[in-house]
Amino acid sequence: MISFNVIRWIVWKDFVTELRSRETISSMVFFALIVILIFSFSFSMDQQAAREVIAGIMWVAFAFTGIIGLGKSFSTELQNDCLEALQMVPEAKGAIYLGKVAANFAFMFVVEILLFPMFVILFNLEVVEEISLLLLVFFLATVGLSAIGTLFSALTVQIRAREVMLPILLLPLVVPVMIAAVEATKGALNGDPPALYEQWLELLAIYDVVFTVVSFWMFEFVMDS
Amino acid sequence: MIACHGIGKSYGHFQVLHDVNLAIAEGECFALFGPNGSVKTTLLKILATLERPSTGHFEMLGMHGLKDREAIRANLMFLAHGTHLYDELNARENLAFALALRGHHPTDRDMKRALDRVAIGAFADMKVRHYSAGMKKRLALAKTMLAKPNVLLLDEPFTALDTAGTEILREYVRERLSDNGTVLLSTHDYDKTRPIAGRAGILQHGALQETAIEELKSDDLV
Repeated sequence: MISFNVIRWIVWKDFVTELRSRETISSMVFFALIVILIFSFSFSMDQQAAREVIAGIMWVAFAFTGIIGLGKSFSTELQNDCLEALQMVPEAKGAIYLGKVAANFAFMFVVEILLFPMFVILFNLEVVEEISLLLLVFFLATVGLSAIGTLFSALTVQIRAREVMLPILLLPLVVPVMIAAVEATKGALNGDPPALYEQWLELLAIYDVVFTVVSFWMFEFVMDS
Repeated sequence: MIACHGIGKSYGHFQVLHDVNLAIAEGECFALFGPNGSVKTTLLKILATLERPSTGHFEMLGMHGLKDREAIRANLMFLAHGTHLYDELNARENLAFALALRGHHPTDRDMKRALDRVAIGAFADMKVRHYSAGMKKRLALAKTMLAKPNVLLLDEPFTALDTAGTEILREYVRERLSDNGTVLLSTHDYDKTRPIAGRAGILQHGALQETAIEELKSDDLV
């Protein structure tokens, strides 16, 4: 039985602590800005060429930025041994997982929304007509990244080299999300008819459902081990 | 009540706990003494359902320690070395959050009363990051008070507490005992523990030796 009360309080706690410390979002934004600036100065291209490569650059920036946020999601619970208190919550641990996924999704999505105008300006993109499709791609891909990333953040939090282990373990598993997100973003930026890239959106949706369910189920074992 | 049956714990080939048998009745406080490294905390963590024993099992309030973990967790509080507090939240928020995860929703008045009882009511709206170690310990104690657990596990509870804080803690333990609660505490401090503990045991080299607390001598605790 999922406790919505636990989900709500986990989200509340992560939001309040982030609003006060600003550790996660500020480090994510700062890292992503550096990546965007490096790429924008590395390539000199017209709008058509930019549309071909920008999707890949964008999702490299979003994925690595997301990993920074995901890494902090459970490492903050080590402070004062708060992780022990979460382990002792007398409810199914899936509720904690869903609360963490919701908070991680929100942080990543906010950062993506903040950064996207930078891509538009620096790479001279015209995206007004495609904005709703792009937001759908961002939403689906970010759900996938946060669903699997939250599980691996919990799995690696007690490992001494967790900053290294999290990307090593996570990146191979999010390859399908990255490919689908890049292809769908490229299609939307090019103004292609959605029918040409809807299979990538379907792949993202399937990935989201499958990995959310599997991670939800596995989280109980991760927290108890 | 708590009943340990042959609990052992190993890390790889290194066995740290050997065949611990222990029974603590309702309304009883058991003090666990032992030198550093005598795995008192490990035993408490096993009973707090945070670690699994390598051998043996335990029962708490008639529930199986490994099969009924969620039900046991709902009935116990573990006052640990780490205070389980979030530095960016204030005292009220920490209490509200921790108790909400356990399904309790104390009113502002309840929280104020608990904070006043541990004498940090004046700092209720201050972020915990600005608290001293003793204040954090008092706040963790206030959280325990509001949870009203049937079983209380206290790991070095007097650490960081001043004389007044120690008396507040002892008074709370007496209150739990009068409500038929069960208390197990690990400590090095015989003088602070003696007024509340009925029985005691010394954990040494992973083995538990039980004794009446009056029979303990300070030499035994070195």
